Amino acid sequence: MWEANCGADVRDVTDEFGPPRCHDPRVTLTVLIVDDHAGFRHFARGLLEATGLSVVGEAEDGRSALDAVAALRPGVVLLDVMLPDFDGFAVADRLAELPQPPTVVLTSSRDPRDFGERLARSTARGFIRKDDLSGAALERLVAAG
Amino acid sequence: MRPALLIGLAIAGVTVTVVAAVNVQFGLAFLPTGTEPDLGPVFADAVWIACGLLAIWRRPHNAVGPLVLTLGFVDMISLTSWDEALPSTVVALVSAFVIPLVVHLFVAFPSGRLTTRPQRALVAFGYGAAAVLGPLGLITSGSATDCPACPPNLLRIEGAQGAADAVSLVGSVLIVVVLAAAIAMTVARWRRATGATRRALGPVVVLAGIGTATLVAVVVLEQVGLVDLSRWVANIGGIIYVAIPIVFAVGLLRTRLHRGAVADLVLELDAHPGAPELRDAVARALGDPSVELGFWLPDEHRYVTGDGQPFEPAPRAGPSASALTTIERNGERLAVLVHDPGIDGGLVQAVGAAASMAIANARLQAALVAQLAEVRASRTRIVQAGDQERRRIERDLHDGAQQRLLGVRLALRLAQSRLEDGNVQTASDVLGEADAAVVDAIEELRALARGIHPPILTEEGLGPALSALAGRAPVPIDLSIDAGRLPPAVEATCYFVAAEATANIVKHATATRARIDVDVADGVVTLVVADDGIGGADIEGAGLRGLRDRVEAVAGRFQVDSPAVGGTRVSAWIPCG
Repeated sequence: MWEANCGADVRDVTDEFGPPRCHDPRVTLTVLIVDDHAGFRHFARGLLEATGLSVVGEAEDGRSALDAVAALRPGVVLLDVMLPDFDGFAVADRLAELPQPPTVVLTSSRDPRDFGERLARSTARGFIRKDDLSGAALERLVAAG
Repeated sequence: MRPALLIGLAIAGVTVTVVAAVNVQFGLAFLPTGTEPDLGPVFADAVWIACGLLAIWRRPHNAVGPLVLTLGFVDMISLTSWDEALPSTVVALVSAFVIPLVVHLFVAFPSGRLTTRPQRALVAFGYGAAAVLGPLGLITSGSATDCPACPPNLLRIEGAQGAADAVSLVGSVLIVVVLAAAIAMTVARWRRATGATRRALGPVVVLAGIGTATLVAVVVLEQVGLVDLSRWVANIGGIIYVAIPIVFAVGLLRTRLHRGAVADLVLELDAHPGAPELRDAVARALGDPSVELGFWLPDEHRYVTGDGQPFEPAPRAGPSASALTTIERNGERLAVLVHDPGIDGGLVQAVGAAASMAIANARLQAALVAQLAEVRASRTRIVQAGDQERRRIERDLHDGAQQRLLGVRLALRLAQSRLEDGNVQTASDVLGEADAAVVDAIEELRALARGIHPPILTEEGLGPALSALAGRAPVPIDLSIDAGRLPPAVEATCYFVAAEATANIVKHATATRARIDVDVADGVVTLVVADDGIGGADIEGAGLRGLRDRVEAVAGRFQVDSPAVGGTRVSAWIPCG
């Protein structure tokens, strides 16, 4: 089953295992970074791309994040919890309602315990503290689903 | 009212009555033929004079007494007739003022004051018309040969005969109009009034009604030829005329009975009542349950209620009209009474004087309660401002330095992996970006720390700290600082006020220059921050409110002058030991 939100650059890959599926190790993760701090987005993009991930776009608030997901159909959304308009949990819930939802990974400079039960109840796949962010950590979380 | 003056007026009253009685009984000059001398009106006017004297004696501060007395004298004079031109002229001129005096009396009863513009206008019009029409009537009354029945007068102009009838007609019409207006106003006032005013006006309205009906009946009966019946009805009019001053005097003196209530009040106040009981006691003494009592806070130039709430005394118009009376003690304003305007001013003054000691005590209590309420409110605001400040600092740290340092950590990891790949150039570029982010983070932390408490203030004092503040401001600021080291709380408050005022100037004032003056004299620091900007600052806004709280928390005083033109001036006076 082909899933378009796995990214455009894997469409031509077909071998004895059949067409690639989402989260297939042969498929490069496509990532949308959502954060209102340009500095963080810049360094996060550099770090993820260095690990071989494809950063397909950046968004600075919840509304533009929803627009970007509709336009770019990323496989993963790296979503800051504290955004200027909606909070990250609300954006994650909206994304989870899409017919083909992307995998959402929340991130924040705060300690995950600061968010209490909300993190456990969230529709997001998981949480990475901003200073622990790396391509490998993101891939591990996505693969764990 | 001095007894000598009262006795003098009484002697004058008796004299005028005797002279008028003799004049009417034996003068007989120019009496229309066939008219019998009638002493009835003379005695009626004597009743007016007596009632006027009584009212003046018992209610010396009320204008109703002098009005009744004057009306008695004037009408008495108008009854006399003279052969000589001079007294005859004077009598004719004075007589014109009977009707305006009646109007004045009706409209001003029972308080003796004219309180509304229509009242003042009607009374002024009445006097004005009398002053014009009186002489005009004499001027135009024609020559002695034209009018042998007319009394002699000094103003007569030969050849103007005939116009007298026109003047007389105008006068008659005006008399009907102003009397009708006065009665209508009195009835309207009675219908709206409550309490003391209504009780006093009731009999007046009844008498005015009977008097009007009598007058109409007399005219109608004469027209239909029932002259005897008409005379009989006219006698009722005479009785009414005598009854009117009695009703006015009794109405006035009824409030006199309330003076017993003043004695009761004094006894009640002996129990040292609190503010609510004090108001109730004053309301009982005045016979007005709607009484409101506001206590004056001289330092704050405002009134508060007994429980410290702000109180704005305003005289009300309309159905529930009210009047204001200020209560003073040794020339110092204590309180204001809002009460029924019909209550006699003398009674209000008496009640105020009797209660002034208790009011002075209750005022202190109200001032304490008001102060306590203000302290509580400002304490809450200070705590809220503190919480808000902590939230702001958390947000500034989170959005600023922390984000930059997070970025730096990511950059360092990226550089590390590039170096491991042997990609030295890329690693160097990333490290360069990381260094720039660290520089930004350090500057942000420095600014934030300075905003919390500038180190230069602690280390070097207010002067250098304000110099540094002025140096960083984008608007040129002239400094004049005449202060050494001060207690830390005073320095911090002064700096905070100056910093906040400067921030406001930069943000809102569109000023080209500003100045900060600091001066210490007699143990008080005076700080003034002024600009030449657009003014119109929001004095009740959270920012300036916070400054006021902060200054008052260290027992200081805070003031903002921000007219629509001429810039803003923020001043603080803080005791510094």
